[in-house]
Amino acid sequence: MNNQHNQFRRRFLQLMALGASGLAVPRFSQAGTASFITKPIPSSRERLPVIGLGSSRTFNVGNDPLGLDNVAEVMRHFFNAGGKLIDSSPMYGSSQTAIGYGLKKLAKTKAVFSADKVWTWDHDESPVQMEQSRQYWQVDSFDLMQVHNLVAWQQRLQTLARMKQQGQIRYVGITTSHARRHEELEQIMKTEPLDFVQFSYNILDREVEARLLPLAAKRGIAVIINRPFQRGELIDALKDKPLPDWANTIDCKSWPQFLLKFVVSHPAVTCAIPATTQVAHLQENMAAGFAPMPDAAMRARMIDYVEKIL
Amino acid sequence: MGDLASYRLSDFILFSETVYYRQFELYNQAVWPLHTVAILFSLLLGYALWKKPAWAGRVISGLLVVAWLWVAWDFLYQRFQQIHVVAEYYALGFALQAGLLASYGVIKNRLTRCTTSQLRIMISAMALFVALVLYPFTPLMIGRNWLQFEMFAIAPDPTVLATLAILFIYKAPKALYVIPVIWVIVSGMTLFVMQ
Repeated sequence: MNNQHNQFRRRFLQLMALGASGLAVPRFSQAGTASFITKPIPSSRERLPVIGLGSSRTFNVGNDPLGLDNVAEVMRHFFNAGGKLIDSSPMYGSSQTAIGYGLKKLAKTKAVFSADKVWTWDHDESPVQMEQSRQYWQVDSFDLMQVHNLVAWQQRLQTLARMKQQGQIRYVGITTSHARRHEELEQIMKTEPLDFVQFSYNILDREVEARLLPLAAKRGIAVIINRPFQRGELIDALKDKPLPDWANTIDCKSWPQFLLKFVVSHPAVTCAIPATTQVAHLQENMAAGFAPMPDAAMRARMIDYVEKIL
Repeated sequence: MGDLASYRLSDFILFSETVYYRQFELYNQAVWPLHTVAILFSLLLGYALWKKPAWAGRVISGLLVVAWLWVAWDFLYQRFQQIHVVAEYYALGFALQAGLLASYGVIKNRLTRCTTSQLRIMISAMALFVALVLYPFTPLMIGRNWLQFEMFAIAPDPTVLATLAILFIYKAPKALYVIPVIWVIVSGMTLFVMQ
């Protein structure tokens, strides 16, 4: 028991140190500009930029040529700014097709860190669905495949583990965006061999700080955060409120930066995946991936400020 | 399937308002000049309801059957499904309603008993006017691109509204109201969640 406790403590401190080193010491490119902050995936040490790109709602444009070109444009700015991970799901309508269009157009099918999901109750359908998704994305294989919203997770995780073993995917994950399923997710995180977990977290919805984030750190699971803006509701609520003067000290010039820096500065968070249809918003989001990041005291101050003005 | 209980309606509305209305714009461009046929449908409906010739019930039912089937196939299944994962079920519902209308109004020719209530006639006439005449102008009235108009026999909402108005005039059985009323709820909630 003591040994286990010590292992956990060591693991947690390692992660904290990794997180802190990544956050506190930005690496500089040859051009002299600060490079994007990355954090390691605990199971492989591969590093991921702290800001990824979600596609729920925003990339679901059907076969509208203007919509598809807009998606590609957002993706172009995402990659140019140092982004790598794009997340989607068969549930998101035509988002996967739009991503595939963008990747092909930008010749980024090899460069992207592709994170998709399997979303079906039908066991026989799951391989068909994943292959269909792969074709939509126009990639050779997925980097990360996640069980969407815990749907039939026992069977799906077995399938994903087998696929990982066979080299068809590199990482296995599971997701939920529903707080009421956190207890079930916690049990899965405790017992299943996961590389990634994905759930919602933002400056107002911080329930995951109590159990899920520490558990992810303890078990060495990378954490992807969805809905960092509460599906835009937080931005809407804050847009007319003033940013505090001290936001300058962490280089925040907009609310999205402020909110994203809060999320990705948590030591157990690997990356956040805000979604947008607008290049200007994408650029604001990506600007949150650079140092300086808030420390624990600053994070507490951020919470206090937002709770006071809302 | 118990997992479905953990979803909210907004979890299934995974498209923006802009993309939703853009579907109508692209759809209108794709199906043009079918709108002229839709206008003829509307004129024929109006004439049959006004003059009430012997063939009115059967012809009106036939027009509605064609309208529901077309919307099911070309809008809901072919286009809306691209952005909405449950649109194929909507299409099935529309096809089922077409079947019910065909059975009741065309094959059995039972869409014959008109209401005598002035109130019902007035409500139906107003609803029909909105569905056939006003609805296509909605984008202009609220400042959207006019090409995003929705028209009876082309788009679902005005088709459903016109159908409800006709069923109300004809004292149709309650079974024929079920799918249109469900659609009114579904469409209303979709528009609400999108905003």
